[in-house]
Amino acid sequence: MDKITLRVTRSGGKRASYEVKYRKGMTVLDALTEVREKQDSTLGYRHSCRMGICGSCGMTIEGLPRLACQTQVSSLNTGTINIEPLHNMEVVKDLVVDILPFFDLHRSVKPYLIRTDLKERDQSDREYRVLTEEVEKFLQFDYCIMCGLCYAACPTAALDPFYTGPQAIAQAYRYMADPRDEGWEMRVNLLDTSHGVWRCHVAGACSFVCPKDVDPAKAIQLARTEILKKRILRKRPREGSKPVSPPVAGAAKEGVKPPPFDFGGARK
Amino acid sequence: MKRDQRYKAGIISSLIPSKFSVERWSYTVHRITGVIMVGYLMAHIFETFQLGGGSTAWANTMAALHSLGPMEMVGLWIVAGSALYHGGNGIRLVLNEAFGRLMGKPILPVYPYSPTSLGRNQKIAVWTITALVLALWVWAGVYLLAGIGVI
Repeated sequence: MDKITLRVTRSGGKRASYEVKYRKGMTVLDALTEVREKQDSTLGYRHSCRMGICGSCGMTIEGLPRLACQTQVSSLNTGTINIEPLHNMEVVKDLVVDILPFFDLHRSVKPYLIRTDLKERDQSDREYRVLTEEVEKFLQFDYCIMCGLCYAACPTAALDPFYTGPQAIAQAYRYMADPRDEGWEMRVNLLDTSHGVWRCHVAGACSFVCPKDVDPAKAIQLARTEILKKRILRKRPREGSKPVSPPVAGAAKEGVKPPPFDFGGARK
Repeated sequence: MKRDQRYKAGIISSLIPSKFSVERWSYTVHRITGVIMVGYLMAHIFETFQLGGGSTAWANTMAALHSLGPMEMVGLWIVAGSALYHGGNGIRLVLNEAFGRLMGKPILPVYPYSPTSLGRNQKIAVWTITALVLALWVWAGVYLLAGIGVI
């Protein structure tokens, strides 16, 4: 394969074709950058980190929502690559979509630790202890980079513009499972609506396209079980873990001074 | 977000499961079979409603149905397949949705990623249900269509 053709859906639905010289290791983002630098400077697309961390270069590549920076041209097994903007979002220009409504959905589930004691929250000199097995219950969902691929892949989001969406529900569950959080009941009430968790029909498309294995489909079902526990078993919101004083170096053995820092000769 | 502002291709692609996993296909078939069953339910209500018109109205309705010929039984066979798939897949969905079963526990993602919610257990459930439904559907076909000489 010497050359590849990019068929890009541009603003207004028009399709433009660009030929790019293929080189080993080329990603779709590399190809688009080459087009913009050498052929068509008006081509609009969004990117930043180029290494699958910022989540800005989401687009529909060969029918699937993917990160352009993480999609190797060779992995697509085709000489003609069809590229569209992400589905279920408004197009700003060419491949750039308006991601703000998606961020609004994320914000709507209050994606932060909620504590009822505001004094403790704002003036605390102590810290919250979380056990390793407690971290394992939510860490997977913490890896979300908010790229919007799950929302673009979701068939329910396509048909219901008011659906909370897989990303936001996964983030809500991430905090519901956090032992430090005291907003369990508030989040259950936010999700327990006709446009909330009950709208999901387990198509699994969100988990299939997630570039970080956050597995939103799993988080949604786990959030559902939490809501059912509240509704059927009358589960009451748990208390958040209590803050504890941070450990002090050398405090375990009274009178023993902590060892001096050892820079391993690096500063000599 | 207003619907008309959104990229319309999303609505079209929501109907097409190609390139996605088998669960996405299952979702589409589940929806189609659901629509078929709703259609059948409405037709069935209309049909039984004719009983109110007396024996003549009922006989006319039956005559109209029988005038469809083999299509009557073929239609029933399609409805039977829809009910089987919708019911069987529904059991899997209840396990998923109400009890969080077949989804796996939260894990620490390790590359190459493989979401547990679409993992081995889920695949086994989907394919077992599909195989059972197909077997029962074939049996229903023999039962319904053999009598009218279609097979």
